[in-house]
Amino acid sequence: MSENYKFDTLSLHAGHIPDKETGSRAVPIYQTTSYVFNSTEEAASLYNMEVGGHLYTRISNPTVAALEQRLAALEGGASALACSSGMAAMHLVISAICSSGDHIVASSKMYGANINLLQHTMPRFGVNTDFVNPNDPEAIKKAIKPNTKLVFGEVIGNPGLDIMDVPEIAKICNSKNIPLILDATFNTPYLMQPFKHGANIIVHSLTKWLGGHGIAIGGAIVNGGNFDWGDKDKFPTISGPHFALGGISFWEEFGPSALIAKIRAEGMYNFGPSLSPTNAFHLMQGIETLPLRMKKHIENTHSILDFLVSHEMVEWVKHPDLETHPDHEVAKRILPKGSGSIVAFGIKGGREAGKAFIESVQLASHLANVGDAKTLLIHPGSTTHSHLSSEAMKEGGLTDDMIRLSVGLEDFNDIKKDFERGFKAVKKLNK
Amino acid sequence: MIINFKGAKTYIGTGGKSLDNTKKTLCFLHGSGQNHFSFIQQARFFAYKGYSVIAPDMPAHGFSDGNPCKSIKENADWISDLLVDLKLKNVVVIGHSQGCLVALELNRILKSTLEALIFVAGSNEIPVNQFLLDLSKENPQKASQMMVTWGHGIDGDMSINKWPGHSHYGEGNNIMCMNKSTALKYDLHSCNDYSDGIDAAKNVKVPALAVLAKYDQMTPLKSGLKFVELIKNCETHILDCGHFLPSERPVELNSIINSFLSKLK
Repeated sequence: MSENYKFDTLSLHAGHIPDKETGSRAVPIYQTTSYVFNSTEEAASLYNMEVGGHLYTRISNPTVAALEQRLAALEGGASALACSSGMAAMHLVISAICSSGDHIVASSKMYGANINLLQHTMPRFGVNTDFVNPNDPEAIKKAIKPNTKLVFGEVIGNPGLDIMDVPEIAKICNSKNIPLILDATFNTPYLMQPFKHGANIIVHSLTKWLGGHGIAIGGAIVNGGNFDWGDKDKFPTISGPHFALGGISFWEEFGPSALIAKIRAEGMYNFGPSLSPTNAFHLMQGIETLPLRMKKHIENTHSILDFLVSHEMVEWVKHPDLETHPDHEVAKRILPKGSGSIVAFGIKGGREAGKAFIESVQLASHLANVGDAKTLLIHPGSTTHSHLSSEAMKEGGLTDDMIRLSVGLEDFNDIKKDFERGFKAVKKLNK
Repeated sequence: MIINFKGAKTYIGTGGKSLDNTKKTLCFLHGSGQNHFSFIQQARFFAYKGYSVIAPDMPAHGFSDGNPCKSIKENADWISDLLVDLKLKNVVVIGHSQGCLVALELNRILKSTLEALIFVAGSNEIPVNQFLLDLSKENPQKASQMMVTWGHGIDGDMSINKWPGHSHYGEGNNIMCMNKSTALKYDLHSCNDYSDGIDAAKNVKVPALAVLAKYDQMTPLKSGLKFVELIKNCETHILDCGHFLPSERPVELNSIINSFLSKLK
């Protein structure tokens, strides 16, 4: 009892103990849409949020709950909610906090879909965003307005690998009573736990390193429980009366877990981006080995960095663990175990060289995901951004020659051999 | 609801329903370093069962301002005055941990108002070790974390929760952080200094219920069982969990309380 288990143990056990009836060691997949009520009184209690339990799998499910409770334990949060994807998580958080007329301050160096949601979709609903450099605390401070309801960024930016100085930004948010919401997909709780640095809410794409095997799409929101939502004028959706449940104030009833209670009662209810129990099971299987995988991801990433930095065919290499990276000092401070396993590098020879490299490697997979156990590559110049000119790509922080690499868990020498095959093809092209 | 009581902002959880002083009232008293969020799954449950519910944040706890009470008797006097202020009659007092000691003292103060007493994870004495007393003064946050860890059974360790997605440890730590920094120190000293528990327990004349926890490390089961022996006809139940019984076993606890309440006149 009261063991205060460590991270590796929680990765395996949190959220589940074998049930007495079956003794099932693995988390069972509760593949059901709904749950039999023992009485009308019990049903009413669940609907009224008097006690916890399961009503309908769109709202919650025992397998999904095990995943949520494992994530809450790993992040040190008060509560968590899993949903159908990382983008669903992002939208659920924003819609729970913001209403028409509200304002967001967000990092300008983020994943394209995050930018799209804030720049193009949310303004149609009256929620506007100012984008600022995540490494410029003064700019963030200046961008905050009286109607700003949240500050959003990525701990490790995708794809530029900028590192957000979380403790500095958290101080600013705290002084302004605004929640700091971070996409922590690229770091995972193994590399860094944002609540310890003052963040308030975490958003994850579980599809990536947490799941880790490229087999299931999922997302999650983890609530630190460390934010005061008590200002009814500023955060009426959390502390003011809700339209249902007898005008419940989530803040007064659930305190540290108010945000998750709100999202479950409104976002999951009305939008319905639920995670399938089977996918929750697959994602949990991944989390069981998260510490082992992350150690190996970082080890291989450092070997790859040594290899690429000294390679004659490589023009440049970008990773926050390299001294040449502009955010290296911040990375050392907040990500001491390593800054993730995404590497960007440029191949001598520009767009055509990038294309030749990608088409010549055999072991590394050419696709648009990251965080798989297998090594993944993409050349934006010939795929996702092939319609853009070199100039237009530069404006978006990308270059013709850039390869985005998600370092996998293979034997490093095999990855190296595979890359040499690619470089050989580029050499031929350059001749 | 928020009221001004004794010159300070005072928060009283009512389980999401308006307070109706014509009904039987369940008064939930939180433990050391806690607040009304100890009873998340009781206040709303019983308010929706037709009872009037109050779960006050004691001074300097949760959403309440004011100076913390410095003894169990002072806590009891404060609650007694609050019941008068709110014009509440037919009150069933439900204490958790330190709240049980306050309930014992309330039994001495309240006359016809008190209808029954319910003790959750309680005892007639709660001695606190010197290390924790010192830590609550020097580093209340660290002391809170240790109490949250000691206070839970295996469900805390394993992040098992009846409420989907909630973590006992994460939630528990933040609940305690919501109090003013001096609150825990005075609470723990109040518990440690309280020595009238045996007489107070023997003096209980109203119907009484005790729900104890098998793996309680804060008010150990052994101590709880000695306590209930002091109370005449105390209905006793033991649940397989740690000290934070209201959040660890909400369904079972609510069912036991509901059954007990149904037997009252």
